[in-house]
Amino acid sequence: MIRHLIKLIWNKRGTHALLIIEIWASFMVLFGVLSMIVYNFTNYLEPIGFQYEQVWNLDLKNNQDTIDVGDKLKRALQRVRSYSEVASASRMSSNAPFSASQMNNSVDYNKINVLADQYYTDEAMRATLDLSVESGRWFDESDKVSKYVSIIINKKMKEGLFTGDNPLGKVIKVDDKLSYKVVGIIDKFKSHGEFSADEPGMFRMIGKDDNWNSNMMIKTKPGTDANFEARLVKDMATMLPGWGIEVSYLKDSRNNRHKITLVPVMIFLIVSGFLLTNVALGLFGILNLNIAKRRGEIGLRRAMGATEADVTTQFLGEVWVLAIFSIVLGLLFAMQFPLLGVFDVPVNTYAIAVLAAILIIFLIVTLCAWYPSRQASRIHPAVALHEE
Amino acid sequence: MIKLQNVEKVYRTSSIETLALNNINLDVKKGEFVSIMGPSGCGKSTLLNIIGLLDAPSKGIIEIDGRKVERFNDKEIAPLRNKMLGFIFQSFHLINDLSVIDNVEIPLLYRSNNAKQRRELAEEALEKVGLANRMKHFPKQLSGGQKQRVAIARAIVGKPEIILADEPTGNLDSAMGNEIINILQSLNENGATIVMVTHDDAMAKRTHRLIRLFDGTQVL
Repeated sequence: MIRHLIKLIWNKRGTHALLIIEIWASFMVLFGVLSMIVYNFTNYLEPIGFQYEQVWNLDLKNNQDTIDVGDKLKRALQRVRSYSEVASASRMSSNAPFSASQMNNSVDYNKINVLADQYYTDEAMRATLDLSVESGRWFDESDKVSKYVSIIINKKMKEGLFTGDNPLGKVIKVDDKLSYKVVGIIDKFKSHGEFSADEPGMFRMIGKDDNWNSNMMIKTKPGTDANFEARLVKDMATMLPGWGIEVSYLKDSRNNRHKITLVPVMIFLIVSGFLLTNVALGLFGILNLNIAKRRGEIGLRRAMGATEADVTTQFLGEVWVLAIFSIVLGLLFAMQFPLLGVFDVPVNTYAIAVLAAILIIFLIVTLCAWYPSRQASRIHPAVALHEE
Repeated sequence: MIKLQNVEKVYRTSSIETLALNNINLDVKKGEFVSIMGPSGCGKSTLLNIIGLLDAPSKGIIEIDGRKVERFNDKEIAPLRNKMLGFIFQSFHLINDLSVIDNVEIPLLYRSNNAKQRRELAEEALEKVGLANRMKHFPKQLSGGQKQRVAIARAIVGKPEIILADEPTGNLDSAMGNEIINILQSLNENGATIVMVTHDDAMAKRTHRLIRLFDGTQVL
């Protein structure tokens, strides 16, 4: 029967071309949207790697002030740490968690190259963000005077750069003046939020007289409220006249980050939902018309021994064959994404998206074909043959 | 082979009730070639549809090969139609999107034959009607007589015991019509029971028995 259906569809391929294109387009749209959803969802399932509750980001900008900036930042940090409401505080580069800022550098080791996010911070960051050190250690005072620049890398960078070797103690030469030494490995650090991928990343210690990295991560004690925020801003303004002072809660920044990810997904979902509804209605109409045109054939098949169920199965089968043609065509296009590595998305994300898209396409075509097919099976053979 | 007792068929709409067949009694023996004649609208096709289990009678008993079938449901009727009955229609009812051989294979799709068996049986049937050289053609490439021969091949491919022909020569000229009747006669000589509806006296005379209908009633 399957061969018969394929022949029937193949011989009518001209008539069905538009339908095939319609299903193909739906498949491609679904593939795109589902790839996006699967990518974000699988990322979401991975732990973020740090604690953001109760953590504030104090963003200081020296503006026109260029005198003793490093010293002023040091004193500001000491002041922040002195508050009884503060559990821990540390300095950080502007690419703080959930911020839109990003800093990355290419790192080479044994002819392997990895593009890694680079974060500047200090010895207190581990406690501030509850970072989990898998092996080695976090920064300490000795790193400020060591021969090499101490770095702490995440597991993703370890896997990418050291492929099986133990990176602890390894020296990575950047140029004649700069070499890194790996002193610790942390698990994950998804600074762009749960929906982002776990990218290779490394932490460097902020230098003694650094006057660039002016963000401070402040972990407050439970129950700390906006009164402290006001006091903090006021004190900072007194200490650092003319500076820009901004406090943001990582919790809020995380929500904003979620919106940045989810809003486009929602827009694509709504647009593709409309598109699929249109395709489904079109398909339903075409099938109804098709069946009305083929009443004679239905009568004939019933006369030749087809049961009602056979007729239903035949029409459903025809739509499934059409869907298979369209999906095969769609797969030729979809396969190009992982093959050419168009986006930095894992192959299994595409595989899940393809499977889900196939499932949804079959669900839609089956739902659209079910009612007309049932109607077709109920056509009285004598009436259908007489009409013809 | 085919037995009808007190068969009645009434078509009902919300306002009209039409008596299409009234008290029909019929007994067609195995191997008989019977023709049904009558003016247009007298119920010939309705009678053939009832014999062919395409339509249910409003009243009466139908026996096909000793089985009372008037209360059979769809799942019981379908295999009976498939295995016992072969249909030939005035307007051929070929599927234009399928080749000649694929059209002939249709009844076998509803059996457990595999593709190879289907192909062999279809080729055999087409050879019987003299169309072995047109297997790959499509219906639109055939003449009316050839189309009807394809329809006959389709009717006999499953080797049914009964062939029901509804004005098989109605759309053909007399030469083609004769050719079709010759084929039907030869099928009958090989054991098939044939019931044929016709308007043509000359065709009816070539059958064993003639049943006349008038206004849904059997004329004795």
